[in-house]
Amino acid sequence: MCKKLVQMMQGNVWISTNSLGFAQSMTLLLRFQIQSYIQRTMYAHGTSGEQSNSYSRFRGLRVLLADDDDINRIVTKKMLEKLGCEVTAVSTGFECLSAISHAENSFRVVVLDLHMPEIDGFEVATRIRKFRSRNWPLIIALTASAEDHVRERCLQIGMNAVLQKPVLLQGMAAELQRVLHRTGDGV
Amino acid sequence: MEVVQIQRNLVDYTKSLFMEGFLDGQFLQLQQLQDESNPDFVAEVVSLFFDDSQKLLNELTIALDQPIVDFKKVDAHVHQLKGSSSSIGAQKVKNACIAFRNFCEVQNIEGCLTCLQQVKLEYYLAKNKFETLFRLEQQIVASGGSIPMIEMGF
Repeated sequence: MCKKLVQMMQGNVWISTNSLGFAQSMTLLLRFQIQSYIQRTMYAHGTSGEQSNSYSRFRGLRVLLADDDDINRIVTKKMLEKLGCEVTAVSTGFECLSAISHAENSFRVVVLDLHMPEIDGFEVATRIRKFRSRNWPLIIALTASAEDHVRERCLQIGMNAVLQKPVLLQGMAAELQRVLHRTGDGV
Repeated sequence: MEVVQIQRNLVDYTKSLFMEGFLDGQFLQLQQLQDESNPDFVAEVVSLFFDDSQKLLNELTIALDQPIVDFKKVDAHVHQLKGSSSSIGAQKVKNACIAFRNFCEVQNIEGCLTCLQQVKLEYYLAKNKFETLFRLEQQIVASGGSIPMIEMGF
């Protein structure tokens, strides 16, 4: 029971601001944000404003996302777009390197799945760090692994952050904020 | 049937899916990503998940049927399935994949075959549940109602 509560809370802490104070109750209730066609027009002018204001610092941030899994790529891309980023999504390490090496693309951040076939995230990051001496894109690794040695290896290669999958919206926002702030890009 | 009744059914049904462990918090994350610019996002992603997963399950069946099983390949497929099911909050499918990977690691064919059956079962159950969920939502919207906002309280 507790486990389920924790799992559910994980994705939902911020939503409970409207809680009507059922603190004493052991009833488990759930909240959704799916909106009907009727309500959609009402929301057209940003009831999601509460979020979009706090995420406006990411607006226009150019992000390159590399993940070989279709589902994960779509979900992560939507997440980044929700945060205001301009996202280019690719499905292989080679496409990722290719996209970065094109001079006209200047990605500020690369979100990189570590476990891709053919050429994995570690290799991609190593190569990125080798050939771009200026304009280093920030690299955020995505991994299902919780092991310390994975995190250490990422940092040694020169990645800036490691996010554990499945990724949460707040988690992604927090990591972006952190890595941008460190490089003085924070607004 | 009155809209209010369908709405109540949806709420109860969704609660039951969480209580029974079919869905976890990651599904709520998915719903956070849906908005007016992408009103069918959740349904689309879930649908894609089931299409992709079907292919993976087929691949797994073939791979485990080989005279010499390539466990690395099997594990890679299961890892992918685990990742994508995790992303959409399909908890039971994800958990079945975790068990599956353990058997891959020790190269236990019997164990893997049993796990494959389990994953397939969970896949079909989940598919069924999601279809019911989306059907209820469609009914509500078609009747001019709105999807109910339910609070999370402790």
